[in-house]
Amino acid sequence: MIRSIAQKEFISTLRDRRFAVLSALVLVLLLAATLVGRASFRTLQRERQTAQGTVNEQFRNQPSRHPHRVAHYGSFAFRPKSGLSLLDGGVDSFTGSAVYLEAHQQNSVNFSQAQQSGSLIRFGEMTVAFVLQLLVPLLIIFLCFGAFTQERETGTLKLLLSQGVSLRQVAWGKITGYGQAVALVVTPALALAAALLFTGEEFASNTDLVARLALFGLGYAVYFFLIVVGSVVVSARQSSSRTALVMLLGLWILGGIILPKATANLGASIYPTITKAQLDADVHEEAQHGIDGHDPHDKRAEALKADLLKKYGVDSEDQLPVSLAGVQMAAGEEYSAKVYQQHFAALNATYERQNRLSDWAGLLNPYQAIRPLSMGVAGSDFGHYVHFQQAAEAYRYALVQRLNGLQAGMGHGDKERRLDAATWRELPVFAYQAPTLGWAWPHLLLPVAALLLWAAGLSWLGLRLISKTSVE
Amino acid sequence: MHLFRILFFYEWRHFRAARGLVLLCGLLLATGLYGIYYGTTEVTRQRAQLAALPELTRRNVAELQVKFPGPADAGDIGYYHSTFAVHHPDAWAALSLGLRDVNPSYVKLRLLGLHNQLYATDNANPMKLLSGNFDLAFVLVYLLPLLIIALGFNLLSAEREEGILTLLLAQPVRPATVVAAKLAFRLALVLGLAGLLSVAGMLWAGVPLDGRVASWLALTALYCLFWFGVVLVVTAWQRPSAVNAVVLLGVWLVLVVLVPSLLNLAVAAARPVPQGLELTIRQREEIHAGWDKPKAETMNRFFALYPQWRDTATIRERFVWRWYYAFQHLGDQAVAPQAASYAHGLQARYNLVEQLNLLSPAINAQSSFNALAGSDLPAHLAFQRSATRYHDSLRAFYYPFLFRKVEFTHADYAREPQHSFTSVPELATAQHGLSKLLLSVAVVFGLGGLLLRLRPVSPL
Repeated sequence: MIRSIAQKEFISTLRDRRFAVLSALVLVLLLAATLVGRASFRTLQRERQTAQGTVNEQFRNQPSRHPHRVAHYGSFAFRPKSGLSLLDGGVDSFTGSAVYLEAHQQNSVNFSQAQQSGSLIRFGEMTVAFVLQLLVPLLIIFLCFGAFTQERETGTLKLLLSQGVSLRQVAWGKITGYGQAVALVVTPALALAAALLFTGEEFASNTDLVARLALFGLGYAVYFFLIVVGSVVVSARQSSSRTALVMLLGLWILGGIILPKATANLGASIYPTITKAQLDADVHEEAQHGIDGHDPHDKRAEALKADLLKKYGVDSEDQLPVSLAGVQMAAGEEYSAKVYQQHFAALNATYERQNRLSDWAGLLNPYQAIRPLSMGVAGSDFGHYVHFQQAAEAYRYALVQRLNGLQAGMGHGDKERRLDAATWRELPVFAYQAPTLGWAWPHLLLPVAALLLWAAGLSWLGLRLISKTSVE
Repeated sequence: MHLFRILFFYEWRHFRAARGLVLLCGLLLATGLYGIYYGTTEVTRQRAQLAALPELTRRNVAELQVKFPGPADAGDIGYYHSTFAVHHPDAWAALSLGLRDVNPSYVKLRLLGLHNQLYATDNANPMKLLSGNFDLAFVLVYLLPLLIIALGFNLLSAEREEGILTLLLAQPVRPATVVAAKLAFRLALVLGLAGLLSVAGMLWAGVPLDGRVASWLALTALYCLFWFGVVLVVTAWQRPSAVNAVVLLGVWLVLVVLVPSLLNLAVAAARPVPQGLELTIRQREEIHAGWDKPKAETMNRFFALYPQWRDTATIRERFVWRWYYAFQHLGDQAVAPQAASYAHGLQARYNLVEQLNLLSPAINAQSSFNALAGSDLPAHLAFQRSATRYHDSLRAFYYPFLFRKVEFTHADYAREPQHSFTSVPELATAQHGLSKLLLSVAVVFGLGGLLLRLRPVSPL
């Protein structure tokens, strides 16, 4: 019986001209978003790869220089776009794309898309995720708001029940039918997106990407399912189609627009962020307790010198086999990097606390559960961004320390000498390896749990409510 | 007119009886107040952050005074001493924060090359930036139309569906008067709410009472009027309430969500901005190549720009600060065309949006609010220009020390130039916005009036 109700809903939905128009619109938007996403993904990826290639080449082809000059010359790390970010850009537009890596300090990641877009970007970006997260639910609402109210208004619900079907069965039949209709709209677009993804040579036979894409699809399937169920439940509990529609639209606005913004803003108000200027000043203040590589009169530098002299059993600096300045630089860098790490860890912890409010709101609002899941799977969430930042810092630290090591190896009087241009070609360049889904998984547990809870809760509680609802 | 008053009064009684609508208005009022609270606290926080910067500079100077107890080489001071170019928010920014969270409100400057300092961002949580600001402008631009839709989607259709319209039209009353009275009541209600929120916001934020008060109120009123015009068109079309709701929400979705996001794509494609990345890469090359070039070549290039220092001593030392700062500045000079085209590119995007925002009164209203508050891209670009001039003045301050070999004393810290910049409102943009909104209002009301004339109101 459920099957024949489902079939009836499915067929009558397909015959409904309004649905045809709306779903065609959603489909067109999905396709457009996919194509635009791919085009911008390619442009950005190419730009960043070219830029990374350029700076790597420049680094390798430096003339003979003193290693500390090379440390100040530094390098750049460009953040590559993750493969699935063409479906969900996440925070990518709001994080910078490039960070300058140099001795003694950690810089901010600069040049974000948002800074180049003006206030238009405030209205949201046209991405596949945007269509899936906000527009498809709207389509579902328009599809389902009359599920029960219309049957009741036309009196057909009584007829149906007189056939010996329970309300619960009617509800399941409708949910199945609508589910099929939604799948009919969304599946082709996602299939196309997948096809587009895997035709790019960079993604060929990438199992991590397949797993991510599968979870992406699965996550949205659950999201759409719970919205169908929710809409049908609201339709059953409301007396007229009009109130059901208004109520559903109200919930859409609350969940899709007001709550996400309010929780993000509230989080930022409760846990204020320290400014970069303040952070740098604090780091500087603390790093003074370490060794200032540039200041030979520093007291701690004196102690380091004494230790070195003792270690090599010599009594003056010029007898040392290593360059004192190089050893001091290395010690100073080690200390200041540690201080920076602590302060950045604290800053990121503040951000995590700010974001946690939104994450927990996923238990109240399915939109705030699918959003982090979608971004996390697409590799465009805050966690992935931090991963990049840390990789860039790890590279910076290793590079600078290697250069300090080279300087130390030059022995006393290194300042007057340079290392051969071939030296720079042996140093590794920055290459970023994006983390796997396994790495991202712990961040995704809460949104996955929230989505499943919503789906299960709505199916159980909602259908219990439906079976108790009045037929009249 | 008497009839109109009766109808208007009855609407009021209806409204009070409809608990859902009262609740909705209360909700809007609450979100509006939260928006004002958030905006003002955000601006207060930004002010507090900016106010803390001089203290950082003071600590930096104190440290340098310990490090260099006697007269020092100004080159050392220029290298280790940092100061700030600050972008103070206008009081209006509390009502419309614009891009003040995306763009940094200060730049930390040393005497080194400008361009690798100018684009440094402040600490910001990208998730928070993605969600955007919950300020009063957001409530007015995004949420107020939804209240208008909720109040107006069943303007006539509810009466028809409940069978009251037949009775009503049986009285000696023109349908247009009925529609006008119903619209007028709702308009008064919404304008009252929007005005109340705006005035509360202005008082809370402590804005100066200048012409912008009137501009803000006029923008708000016109924007509300536009949405009532849309309601009028849909009412005149005379479809069932559910269809009206769908259509109105569809219009909202198109104007507030779809058109802006599509326009964003179109503008990015039509006005490609030369990436800032190239600029910083190029500048690094230029500056670091300075170490390897013959000193005379560098200095001659520098003297071509600053002939007044040409007669200074020839450099024979292995390292001397005036040479170091000369090639830092030449690095900036080398990328000046790129920097200009980057800024021009951003401005060109902004200008294109200004031209196209006639397509969506929502964008128009938002950018006009931002223009009034001086919190948009042009304000940030103006700040960057001001910071550039400040960097110029810092160089002008240090050059005599460096080239005339004057020693830098403790008293000289206090003589160093200071910087302060406050957002300037873009009044012309706001004026334009007003006239474009007026045009949008005229179009929808014209269309609504025409429809009402063409399709007589049917009671069934």
